Amino acid sequence: MSERFRKVLAVSLAVVLALGISGLAGCAKKTGGETGGETGNKPVKGGTLSFYLNEPAFIDPYNAQESEGVQVVSAVFDSLVDFDPITSEIRPAAAESWESNEDATVWTFHLRKGAKFHNGREVKAEDFKYAWERICNPENKSEISYHLSAVKGYDEMQEGKATELEGVKVVDDYTLQVTLKEPFGDFEYVVGHPALAPVPKEELDTPEKAKAFADKPIGNGPFMMAEPWKHDQEIKIVRFDDYYGEPAYLDGVDFKIFKDEETAFLEFKAGNLDFTSIPSGQLKATIQQYGESPDGYTVEPGKQVLTGSELAVYYVILNNKDKLLANKTLRQAFSLAVNRQAIVDSVFEGTRDPATGIVPKGIVGYQDGAWPYAKYDKEQAAKLLAEAGYPEGKGLPEVTLSYNSGSGHEAIMELIASDLKALGVNVKLDGQEWAQYLDKLDAGEFQMGRLGWIADYPIMDNFLYPLFQSKSADNHSFYANPQVDSLLAEARKTPDADARIEKYREAERMIGEDAPVIPIVFYKHGRVGSDRIRDFVYGPMGIAALDKAWIAQ
Amino acid sequence: MTDKHIHDPLAEEGHPVKDFRTGVPATPPTEDVPASAIASRSSRTLWGDAWRRLRKNKLAMAGLIWAIIMILVALSADLWVPQRFGDPKYIDTTTVSQRMLLPPSAAHPFGTDRMGRDIFARVVYGSRISLAVGVIAVAIEVVIGLILGAIAAYYGKLWDSVIMRIADVFLAFPYILFAIALIAVMGKGFMNVFIAIGILGWPSIARVFRGSILSVKENEYVDAARALGASDLRIMTRHIMPNAIAPIIVYATMSIGGAILTEAALSFLGMGVQPPTPSWGLMLSDARAFMFTAPWVMIYPGFAILTTVLAFVLLGDGLRDALDVKMKD
Amino acid sequence: MLKYIARRILQMVPVFFGVTILLFILRAPGVLPGDPIRMITGEKAISPALYQELVKENGLDKPLPVQYVTYLGKLVHGDLGRSYQKDRPVVEIFADKYPNTIRLALAAIVIEIIVGIAAGIISAVKQYSFLDVVVTLSTSVLVSVPVFWLGMMFQVLLGIKLKEWTGGAFYLPMSGMGSPPDLAHLVLPAVTLASVSTAYAARITRSQLLEVMGQDYIRTAVAKGLSDRAVIFKHALKNAMIPVVTFIGLDLGAMMSGAILTETIFNWPGVGLEIYFSIQQRDWPIVMGGVIIVVFAVMLINLIVDISYAFLDPRIRYGGPAK
Repeated sequence: MSERFRKVLAVSLAVVLALGISGLAGCAKKTGGETGGETGNKPVKGGTLSFYLNEPAFIDPYNAQESEGVQVVSAVFDSLVDFDPITSEIRPAAAESWESNEDATVWTFHLRKGAKFHNGREVKAEDFKYAWERICNPENKSEISYHLSAVKGYDEMQEGKATELEGVKVVDDYTLQVTLKEPFGDFEYVVGHPALAPVPKEELDTPEKAKAFADKPIGNGPFMMAEPWKHDQEIKIVRFDDYYGEPAYLDGVDFKIFKDEETAFLEFKAGNLDFTSIPSGQLKATIQQYGESPDGYTVEPGKQVLTGSELAVYYVILNNKDKLLANKTLRQAFSLAVNRQAIVDSVFEGTRDPATGIVPKGIVGYQDGAWPYAKYDKEQAAKLLAEAGYPEGKGLPEVTLSYNSGSGHEAIMELIASDLKALGVNVKLDGQEWAQYLDKLDAGEFQMGRLGWIADYPIMDNFLYPLFQSKSADNHSFYANPQVDSLLAEARKTPDADARIEKYREAERMIGEDAPVIPIVFYKHGRVGSDRIRDFVYGPMGIAALDKAWIAQ
Repeated sequence: MTDKHIHDPLAEEGHPVKDFRTGVPATPPTEDVPASAIASRSSRTLWGDAWRRLRKNKLAMAGLIWAIIMILVALSADLWVPQRFGDPKYIDTTTVSQRMLLPPSAAHPFGTDRMGRDIFARVVYGSRISLAVGVIAVAIEVVIGLILGAIAAYYGKLWDSVIMRIADVFLAFPYILFAIALIAVMGKGFMNVFIAIGILGWPSIARVFRGSILSVKENEYVDAARALGASDLRIMTRHIMPNAIAPIIVYATMSIGGAILTEAALSFLGMGVQPPTPSWGLMLSDARAFMFTAPWVMIYPGFAILTTVLAFVLLGDGLRDALDVKMKD
Repeated sequence: MLKYIARRILQMVPVFFGVTILLFILRAPGVLPGDPIRMITGEKAISPALYQELVKENGLDKPLPVQYVTYLGKLVHGDLGRSYQKDRPVVEIFADKYPNTIRLALAAIVIEIIVGIAAGIISAVKQYSFLDVVVTLSTSVLVSVPVFWLGMMFQVLLGIKLKEWTGGAFYLPMSGMGSPPDLAHLVLPAVTLASVSTAYAARITRSQLLEVMGQDYIRTAVAKGLSDRAVIFKHALKNAMIPVVTFIGLDLGAMMSGAILTETIFNWPGVGLEIYFSIQQRDWPIVMGGVIIVVFAVMLINLIVDISYAFLDPRIRYGGPAK
């Protein structure tokens, strides 16, 4: 275990305390899981848990991207490291230990011996190399190859100039060495993404096998696929008894696929689902009926509704290249005009947190109130609006707020429009289809819009760099500040975790002053579990830890 | 809603099956319709008789009265609704959490929605959209249908084939999907919903009208008029239209209900009217989340659609009976 | 008769080309905004290299007419292409979905036949009775009700509320097909889907029966001393049924194109929902393939209905003496 790892651990634990999750003891208990529920029940083997899922895009790790696919992949596969489901603290998984060199450019991972794939073969270092090259090979059209963009040789592979990842070296069967293009202190978090799990080459050597693998992937995780994915219906996984860690208690999990959460929720109420999301508007009633989990992440009988923070933020993007919105003072005024608490109370029934910045709670380095204009202050907003040259909105043309309609954003958009109208700004709501909306965002043909961002890994960099670095493709607000760019680059090069986080914090404050976007809310879970499941943890990353859950008989 | 619900399972061309929504023969075979019988009566008596029969039909009159009430309420809404029940669109965000999802009471007869807006006010304003759809979309569909139907019937052969084949393509395409695609192309917003529904509705009208014309066209008095040197337009307006108009009126009345249902369905799917404009379909789409906790959010807009459509259906039924020449004999 | 069938099949050809050309117009650049490749990857951006790869792989780099011809060429061999996003053959996707649509449609048709015709007969036989008024009014209400609202009401009343009232003893599943598919899950979606058609079937049965019963030969039969029941079932019904059967046949055809709203409310994995989502996702192969299959199914059923109509009713002649 590296020096750096210990530091990260220390910081993580501090966060645990700060979050008030019942201190170290509780933490150990939760992560251990073997101690059982509050009632003192011992975990028992057996039972099948049924879990609501949307139809995933992919359950083959090479293209696992959205939460649904990642949920399945994380149960069927183990990456080099993983994260504590509650604290997001980094933990060994397929790798027993790892270390990096002084400037965080070369990382060495030591694999566990005797860990097996579901086909019985031992997991070796070359399986990681194979899996990662599969992701980076442009012929495979993986949409998530960006996870590995920091690795040396990535660009050459993407451009088709190389067939191997230069930076990935198999030292021996149990040692994997990764060399990066440039220092990246948070790289150990990156390799925890479920998409970067090893895959057995022999199951993919013919097109037929590869096709079968896409619907029935063979991994190294605590569960294995029981049968091929039944599209739009069901994905069934069962316990893998040869798992290197402690075997799961559950016999299996049935991921029941529903197109919308309303119907899934009805099935839950009818007793046909063990875990589902709660449609907006029904949280209060659901909490009344099923009780709220004290830590927000663990389902206990009678305290079954989960409302813990997620590593995600919902925000309004402002087109910083727009003639009107290039005016920083105007952006600040808009940001101050939005009554985030009202959105939280009415749309989310108090189960979101008003956003005070762009990096959400639960990320190491989170600072409360990082953005000075991410709060509701009507008078100040009016003052800034006048300062921007439009007293009481006079002379300000109608502003268009675009969004993708039919996905439940209408209510939020209506509230924001009402707030701006109260300020004297006329807002036209422009609901579009998702496809059309994305087009307009890419082309910069919008004034105001909406987006959400969910962390790939629990680090500040994952919010600041993609969203605000001037050349990042995900920077839809077209924010460009050379000072921020250089500060972010510097942070990535800083090997020391504390110093690095300090730089990210400074960058976040700097961005907040410019108000390039309007953070609205930080996400919290809105999920509910049945009263028969125990030690069921659904963490801030939005992944359920199914290996420790069990069903009361 | 099955697509067919708003999409008539019309018989194929040359097929004597009735159009089942209206009960009007879609393409009346000549032997079924004693067109000469209509022609021999002066149109004044025809309408007078029809009105007398309609008045006797209680259900139809109930429909008519309800439709008139809805129209009056929709037109006068600005005068009394916002004053008493508040703005149907905008929200005072500072007090929203105290006013949201209140059950029906004296202050809010239909309760409030999740934004704390009065549902009664929104239902009243929603009637504007629904009635406007009923009128405008059906007007568009009737105009296109009449023109194309007339061209097909009057000029025959090539025109007929081309227009009827286009109508076939329109009818073959799954209706709701077609509407969704059209709106996706044109962009959302209520004018586009009207236009989409109008564009999709013409083939049925065209067929009905074409059939009526064909049945009238061969009659002696038309020939006589032609022999006297009347222009096509004059023959059309003076001799054919008066006799073909009855089924069109019945059909159009029925279509109003269909158009209202289509708009509600499209808005429900998020492809119709955009917020904050109140539309019944949109309100139902919003309400889905509160089905169990606040059922009033769902119940009232649904009843509004139901009663309004029902009014036009009953009126259409009554008109059909009142205008049906066969039944008169 | 053969000539008629041939003519009808010939008429399907321009419809087919019309539908496919319409679909290709929809996907022409600038018509329906939204980049299908962008939709594959969603919110997070992808590298230009990968973008180009995806464009090429899906044949979107070629001019539209070329794409159209290529598409038709493949279509002839039963190849509907691959979904952009699901990376599965379209044929396979619909092979999954169609059985669901057919199950739902057949269940709805059964309800329609039994309830619709029975209600129509009762209401015609007991014309102007209380029952007749009830049937007439309820069919008017059913054709006026928004189906998605009806579905929601069923979910509340027969799902959740019924469960509460019976203490959990009895309720109907509110969504999905069940796994394996079972009858209980079918009830609410089928009733919802059947509601409007049942009302129409009842109305047509009633009006046809009344019309037939008013005709001379029936009056004669009654005059001859046949019992009412015998008249109705032996003579009147047989003749009145022809349009009803036709309606139900055409309705079945319409249901083959899926039922987006019923499928949405009940999370029923049918073809309507699949095509609807694919339009939003700009997944053209699914949209094209789905619409083509649906249009074919509808036209085929309509044709069968029309032909059987001709057989059933000797009065109908299609350009030639019937034998």
